[in-house]
Amino acid sequence: MNLSKRLIALVAICAFTLGSSAFAAKGRDAWVMNFDGDWNVAGGLPEKAMLVSLQGLTNRDAPKLYIVHPPDFQWEITEPLYDFYERKHDVDFTAVETADEAFSLFKKHAKGYVVWDKTVGASLNVAFTIAGLQDAVVVSEELIPLVKKHGLKQIDDLRGRYTGKTDAEIYQDSYDRYWDQCINDAVMLMGGHRGRTMQPAMADWGIQRKMFIHDLSANPIHPEELALTKRLYEQMDPGSTIFGWHPYGKDTEEQATTLLSGYGFKMEGLHNLPNLSFNSQFTFTEGFKFTNNHTVDRDAKLEAEDKIYISFVQSDSIGIGVWTKPGRGKLPFGWQVTMNWSKYSPAALEYFHESATPNDYFIGGLSGPGYMYPNHIPADRFPLLMAEANELMTLLDERVMEIMDNSAADGNVGNTDLTKETVDRYYENFPDVIGFINGYGPARTRDLRDTRPMISYDYYIDPKRPRDGVTDDLNELISLNAKRPYFLLVHVRESNDVNSLVEVTKNLNGPVEIVAVDKFLKLAASNKTYTTRYQDPDEPKHFEGY
Amino acid sequence: MKNTPFKRMIMVGLAVLALGATASANPEIIGEWQLDVDRSSALDGWQDMRLVISSKDTQVDIRHEMRWRATRYRATNTVDTTKSVASDSFFRVEQRHMAVYPTKGGVTHTTAEWIDENRTLRTETHTPVEVSQGNVNMRITSEYRIGEGGKTLTVIELHSSRSRPLVYFFRKIEEEVSL
Repeated sequence: MNLSKRLIALVAICAFTLGSSAFAAKGRDAWVMNFDGDWNVAGGLPEKAMLVSLQGLTNRDAPKLYIVHPPDFQWEITEPLYDFYERKHDVDFTAVETADEAFSLFKKHAKGYVVWDKTVGASLNVAFTIAGLQDAVVVSEELIPLVKKHGLKQIDDLRGRYTGKTDAEIYQDSYDRYWDQCINDAVMLMGGHRGRTMQPAMADWGIQRKMFIHDLSANPIHPEELALTKRLYEQMDPGSTIFGWHPYGKDTEEQATTLLSGYGFKMEGLHNLPNLSFNSQFTFTEGFKFTNNHTVDRDAKLEAEDKIYISFVQSDSIGIGVWTKPGRGKLPFGWQVTMNWSKYSPAALEYFHESATPNDYFIGGLSGPGYMYPNHIPADRFPLLMAEANELMTLLDERVMEIMDNSAADGNVGNTDLTKETVDRYYENFPDVIGFINGYGPARTRDLRDTRPMISYDYYIDPKRPRDGVTDDLNELISLNAKRPYFLLVHVRESNDVNSLVEVTKNLNGPVEIVAVDKFLKLAASNKTYTTRYQDPDEPKHFEGY
Repeated sequence: MKNTPFKRMIMVGLAVLALGATASANPEIIGEWQLDVDRSSALDGWQDMRLVISSKDTQVDIRHEMRWRATRYRATNTVDTTKSVASDSFFRVEQRHMAVYPTKGGVTHTTAEWIDENRTLRTETHTPVEVSQGNVNMRITSEYRIGEGGKTLTVIELHSSRSRPLVYFFRKIEEEVSL
């Protein structure tokens, strides 16, 4: 080959190589596993716990391992988000079919394994804590051969250590051994399902970040567990976050959230929210800016007519809700956004934004920068927390704050009202919102200051309520609230079906208009046919607090 | 026919007997009644209901035993078939996911009568409720219909504000007899 031809060949080779590198650099490599729905301790849980712990270690430095859950898993968005990563972040996923294959790929991220005791549920959480601190994967006895096959050594063995001990004793031991090594601005309340089924899908995040992981009770009937929880909280940084969820059957959501709110902390749930170790390492795509589907200008002044104005809102975080079900977009719908996902799962927020219909409107909540009960937030902690909330709302182009305080409620019934002091604080700390909404079940906190209303839910749609019952209920509210205009705010529980709501709205009596929640609040500001009201100290409370 | 004192006495006596027949409770209504959840209008914010009904002369006490998750709640309404009864603690089986609450300090008035040959206790209640627009009155017409043989009780409740009645079917809880 003469010199010119060699030069041409060399240039061609270089061009091809450079082109390939650029193509590869544009895409990010990652791996994906598909989980089934078996979270039984006697079934699929041990392998899943092991893989989730491996995920937390693997994702420490880069987002490498993602898990897709079945469509009927509580978090419905894992598959849509997987598609989103491929499409918008150029992630090239390779499927990992088995645990053995996963260890072949990722064992280098683990220094060993810790064995948990399947007869002692709390030992799994202790094992997760150890996993984060000592780079261990979590295994039950029957999985030891697998990890040993991949060269991992035993770091700790919890079998027999906690036999016959109470959860308070177990976590006291874990506290004594590990607390000082854990981070101070977050713990993981790995509660939720207990007993024969456990769903610790969030454990990857706790392990990645070296959190203290437990499922201590906030119920006063468990005084030792409650005392230990308080001891943890007293040592944590201001504005800390409690990831996970309360343990079912030990305490209530109301108790757990009341307790952490009293320290000015935020709850970010649930215990089975997957893939945060992966999701948290992505940002919004370049050039992306959140824009909401505002239906009115911020300074608009509307005049309500003699009508019944209805607005529907779904909270409970849109990731577990009606978002992916058919019918969305047929009615104006408000969606409460988990604002902290701008830090922990920005791609999910961008996905929701991208797939929003013109009838979908995003609002901030719940109560602040995370889920908390504002009647219990210490007064000196309130401004800083709500400054954070305001920043998030600005980022997410949100103008409405949804508040919820179930501390005195009995599930989704009962006393869900805000004290006047709490209402005062919201008005003072959120000067830029166009209004507030309150409640989960129905509530009766209402106000109007300058042009900003605070309206509570007049109705909560239980997904199990027959639709003709929902229709009759709404018509009864319309009948009892006879002054016009009537402002009827409806909370839609996440497992409702939008299509069924369309049918309900067709059978409502009177001049009904369904509007987005921003327009609803502007209209409510124009004609105050509702009373001003706050929580009445004489009203019974299901739980009196601590 | 002359209206003699004797005849007047007979007529008064008959009238008294007639009043007594409609004013006193049908004993078949007395007892414990368990809601048949599947057949009844859906409860809302409650999961179960039992009625315990007792009576003394013309007074009927209807005790509601309600359950919501782990919470148990009891409340008794008293009616009298000879007079209106006022209560500041009237218990309405609320649809608890609606923002409709008993008015604080409100007084509820209930009248009652036996109709349909003493097979049905009919009550009419005027109760103040609080809604987002303030306090309003709700009228509730209820019929407690005793089934044949006294084994079933059907409670039909019609609100002035609701176009369809709520219908609750109950079965009598029979006492176990020790042998």
